[in-house]
Amino acid sequence: MSRRIDAHTHVFARATAEFPREVTPQFPADSEAPVEGLLAAMEASDIDQAVLVQLGGGEVANHAYLRRCLAEHPGRFLGIGLIPDDCDDADAHMRGLCEGSGIVGFRLRALGGPTDPFEDVNRDTVATWPIWECAARNDYVLWLYVEAAEAHLLPYMVEAFPGVRVVLNHLGICPGRGRFSIDDNGRPHISVPSYNPAMHTSWRLAQYENVSVLLSGQYAFSREPYPYRDIAGWHGALSGSFGSSRLMWASDYPWIADDPGYAATAGTLTELLPGIGEADRARLMGESAAQILRFPPAAE
Amino acid sequence: MREPNATNADATALPRTPTPDEMRRWDRDGIVALPGALGGAELARLQKAFDHWAAECKHGWLERVAAGDVAGTYYDIPDPLAKDTAFVDLVDHPSYYGRLLRFTDGELLFLAAQVRTVPVWPLAYCAWHPDVGRTNPLHIKVQIYVDDVPPHGGEFAFVPGSHREAPGLRRRPLLTDAMPGCQTFPGRAGDAVVFNAYGWHTPMQNRTDVPRKSIILIYERATEARRNPEQYAHIAGSLSPSRRRLLGVEA
Repeated sequence: MSRRIDAHTHVFARATAEFPREVTPQFPADSEAPVEGLLAAMEASDIDQAVLVQLGGGEVANHAYLRRCLAEHPGRFLGIGLIPDDCDDADAHMRGLCEGSGIVGFRLRALGGPTDPFEDVNRDTVATWPIWECAARNDYVLWLYVEAAEAHLLPYMVEAFPGVRVVLNHLGICPGRGRFSIDDNGRPHISVPSYNPAMHTSWRLAQYENVSVLLSGQYAFSREPYPYRDIAGWHGALSGSFGSSRLMWASDYPWIADDPGYAATAGTLTELLPGIGEADRARLMGESAAQILRFPPAAE
Repeated sequence: MREPNATNADATALPRTPTPDEMRRWDRDGIVALPGALGGAELARLQKAFDHWAAECKHGWLERVAAGDVAGTYYDIPDPLAKDTAFVDLVDHPSYYGRLLRFTDGELLFLAAQVRTVPVWPLAYCAWHPDVGRTNPLHIKVQIYVDDVPPHGGEFAFVPGSHREAPGLRRRPLLTDAMPGCQTFPGRAGDAVVFNAYGWHTPMQNRTDVPRKSIILIYERATEARRNPEQYAHIAGSLSPSRRRLLGVEA
């Protein structure tokens, strides 16, 4: 069986001096999602490897638990870091975090350009330009989950940096301002209208070979319980435009750990893309991630 | 459509019903271009109304974009028929109304108007697509350029004959300009194109620095299932009896 990779998960420790992190109402100091829980869930579902995406702040110190997990499980995980909003030397921050750590890229929630689509876009004045430059120089991946107001800026940056691997998070949805809430299970919920604006914004990036998309986050967008059939059409559209070699399944652990559970989440695409062949399914479930993110051979 | 360097003086009065050549092209290609469908004072009135309401409604649109309710890659003036008679007068304009009646054997239903500005963007704001399958009643669109739309200016494009192709025969290309057999329709302000929306169509990429302004009118062969008396009930009082029927307010 080919490698199976979960392309987007989160683990975090209780906030301590050893593992400092931001404390918020959603992430109180005593909350945790330890890596052991993820490993057990992966094992039970035959998932070989995973991407750990930093939560809990962008400062270097906030990455302590992520770096510990990467160091203790070599070959099992790759990491995606964060950059503080007020970082005045993105290059040093990014290179410092990536050096020998297993962190291969950075997640951005904002691009920092004009939000009026009728305004001229001068790419090199977009606030994250230095981050893109650093990513291009060092072959880092950019993991994008930008707000709807900035969705129109995406192709300007992608086009300016054709060598930067760009991964659109969570079905390519760009969440709207004021549309974020916390559901009864304490996890993110994003209200998306039945008309999906991604179709006319982020999904249009399919023509750029350096852009891929995570098939994840269904629980946050669907109006139905698992298996979220109301958004099956989104998966079909993404499959048709990006193709299986540029789509990656991901669980968004730990938000799915209880509802619907990790094993059920690993079967989401069987439910939502029932017509695809075995080769395509193997790509969605790991081969694409292995190639796009250059995962090392799976650890024994 | 006319060459972009033509002038409004070039516009000719169009016959009110399709010519035999237009009927042939409609059947064979699924598309008929109508250069100079609007011109003179009528076009100026439309341009003025378009610009006024586009400016008036823009703030609300930006808020909806930020909220993720609409895409930021095209901008439609909401409920245009309630805003200005210049838009209402398009629904049965003589330059194309007789053709639409002929194409639908007199059973015409107006569905919607999209008064649309497309900002400059590196990509076409949507991909090649047919609007509906052929099990749907005949679905027709009229696209009118409000300002000049030069080549590579986000002009309309269509695959002649694709309205007759078997479903599933044609695949959507990743690159907008890589569709086999496509024809683009740059044109002058006031030019229009009528097309069968079973056929594959798209806007092209806009490589200029000028947003594209156009109006897309959507019609269908009338069926009771599609008629929605409520949709335009709020403007029914300002409509003539024939327009009330056309808009489905009255049977």
